[in-house]
Amino acid sequence: MKGNVIASKTISIIRRAFREYYFNQSNAIEEPIKMEQREFGYMHFGQAGMLRHLSFKSKKELDAVLVREAPSDVYCSNAYYRFPTQQPMQEKQWLGADLIFDIDGKDLGMPCVPSHSYSVCINCGYVSAPPEQDEERSSYSCLSCGYKKADHVSIPCSKCIDGSRKEARHLMDFLLRDIGLEHNAINIYFSGNNGFHVHINDDACSSLDPQARSDLVGYLSGTGLMLESVGVRKTNTDGSFYIKFPKSGLTYGWRRIIAEKLKIDITSAVKLKNIVNQYGGYNSFKVELDRLARTMGVRIDPQVTTDVHRIFRMPGTLNSKSGLSKTKSRDLYSFDPFVDACLLGDDKISLRVKTPVKLKLKGSSFNISNESAEIPAYAAVYLMCKGLAEAD
Amino acid sequence: MAGSDLAKYPFLNEAGQYLRESSFGWEELNRPDMKYIIDRAAERIEIGVDGKVYDNLERYEIEILTFLISLVIVKSIGIDQVLRKFALAEARRAEKFLTEDLRKQSEIKRRSIFTKIFEDLFKLKIAISEDQRLFKVRVVDYLARAAHFHEQEWKLINRLVYSGYVYLDADETVRIIRNELAVLIYDKVKAMTLPTLPQGMKSKADQLRVKLLSRYEQRGSVVVTDYPPCIKHALGVMNRGDNLPHSARVMLATYMLAIGKPIDEIVLMFENAPDFNEKITRYQVEHLAGMKGSHTKYSVPSCDKLRSENLCFATAECDNLINPIQFGRKKNKE
Repeated sequence: MKGNVIASKTISIIRRAFREYYFNQSNAIEEPIKMEQREFGYMHFGQAGMLRHLSFKSKKELDAVLVREAPSDVYCSNAYYRFPTQQPMQEKQWLGADLIFDIDGKDLGMPCVPSHSYSVCINCGYVSAPPEQDEERSSYSCLSCGYKKADHVSIPCSKCIDGSRKEARHLMDFLLRDIGLEHNAINIYFSGNNGFHVHINDDACSSLDPQARSDLVGYLSGTGLMLESVGVRKTNTDGSFYIKFPKSGLTYGWRRIIAEKLKIDITSAVKLKNIVNQYGGYNSFKVELDRLARTMGVRIDPQVTTDVHRIFRMPGTLNSKSGLSKTKSRDLYSFDPFVDACLLGDDKISLRVKTPVKLKLKGSSFNISNESAEIPAYAAVYLMCKGLAEAD
Repeated sequence: MAGSDLAKYPFLNEAGQYLRESSFGWEELNRPDMKYIIDRAAERIEIGVDGKVYDNLERYEIEILTFLISLVIVKSIGIDQVLRKFALAEARRAEKFLTEDLRKQSEIKRRSIFTKIFEDLFKLKIAISEDQRLFKVRVVDYLARAAHFHEQEWKLINRLVYSGYVYLDADETVRIIRNELAVLIYDKVKAMTLPTLPQGMKSKADQLRVKLLSRYEQRGSVVVTDYPPCIKHALGVMNRGDNLPHSARVMLATYMLAIGKPIDEIVLMFENAPDFNEKITRYQVEHLAGMKGSHTKYSVPSCDKLRSENLCFATAECDNLINPIQFGRKKNKE
């Protein structure tokens, strides 16, 4: 949410709704494990910058601050520190960090996205249909004020959420089957806008350094697979190759995934040789294997997982991009973020929409084509947070 | 643990225990028959410092003493690079024996030696795979070690991974603890209090010091006249007075610290930066040098890291470097 273009009346309505939430539903906010060793931070509506390096001794203390400040976004470190409030970072004395994964719906390239996306000028707030291609975004010019920068917002639909849900499920499969995590160590949260955050509660993982996390991300996302791992070896001469399967076989991990895909096993040297030749030899097959592995891997944000000093949206708090809450999903299949994470009240609020919009929240559909409307707070705040409506 | 095991793995606590039980005293080293062991120890150090593995193996009474004497001589030489090279060579020697043992020993025996060395010294649990052909280590234990290897084949994606374990053959299992073995030997020497050396040993240590000192003094005083392209690029940006990203400033400062530039000179390199503040820059450079804050001395970021941050401007001369710091050294060797 870009506070600089949102009128103060709109901000005060959103803020009031957030404050009410923090006052009435403090139970929804999860107390982090080892709370006293975490760094906290939050942002204010309409103000740039973040207040961070904070520490709370108890959940009660945090609850009080949330009601008092009604922040736009609340963050908590994935790291544990001996001195969480110290600066610079080295002085905090890092003790470990939860392993986390971020699945962002906007990175999944869902085909439905253009049909429910908008460009909101960051200077005047004017809303227009989004440019079709990424390259065109750089040539954006506001039709109202001519300003060159816009926020590209989306009202995720059920297909978008299904896309993220599928990705989260795929990540779970890898974590359970290959990495050997216990089911109860994996906590999946709806991010509060358009994706899922997966938090791992496992002591052994918390000591992993950024390089180890990066290696794990490579595994999960299917990057860096060598042809030699599946038995295709380069000879010293130009691009020619021979087949020699690894001594340890193809039974597990990515070797198994690729072997199953290509329908080969360690007796299929001739078949594999033919496959490689069909693609045009070692180098061309390498390009194909890279592509194949990436498609079969999980689309996670590598930066988030490898950063061991990040402060990350706190479970149970509201996301100012939507007014929805970062909510734990106990059953990924039945979880509906537009119901389960939509926790604001339903007092009626008058607003003016900047463009006709359709949305479905808490089981109610809204199809607003008139400029002015009166709708429940949860839906009104959602549209205001998206920059698609102003308080009337 | 059998004597033959102690001969191969003299860094184990049992070897120390053997010495205590045999009531070994330093004065015994003056005995004429000890000259053989002292010479052997010196040879072992020289070979190790040359980056090779000393592969002569005798009975354990000789091996344990040779190892102990070589540690004392390395300590007495007092040159850190010598100690590092020696520690790495010793780790590779043990690695070689461990791999051989693993390949040929019977199940029970290899399991016991492995459990002992890996778990006692490195808190690394290893198990035998279900079909008895391979070894397996927990994924997190593997990542904590192998993620720091540069070769692509060690990336987790290129490994057999299943149900929380990475499956490895004998060579690979041993390879993942090589660095820790080297650190163990390095730390052993660092923690040692030097005894008063018997004459025969002292003269051997002095001889070796003189020989090695010239080599390392020369290397230490090398003046880097040609910087690697990433550093040249950063200096160019800085000299033009353009803004250099934080990561590039860290690279520049850690590089200059590593080649031994004085802090004052490094601080002045940043004076053209648009946001230059001498006090802050000095604090930051001192911080990177490990003189402030957590007293962690920062190393120069690896080429991999620089590539990922778009700070790499590699030329043909960078071939096979893994860290910009090697650039100057490589050039100077030629």
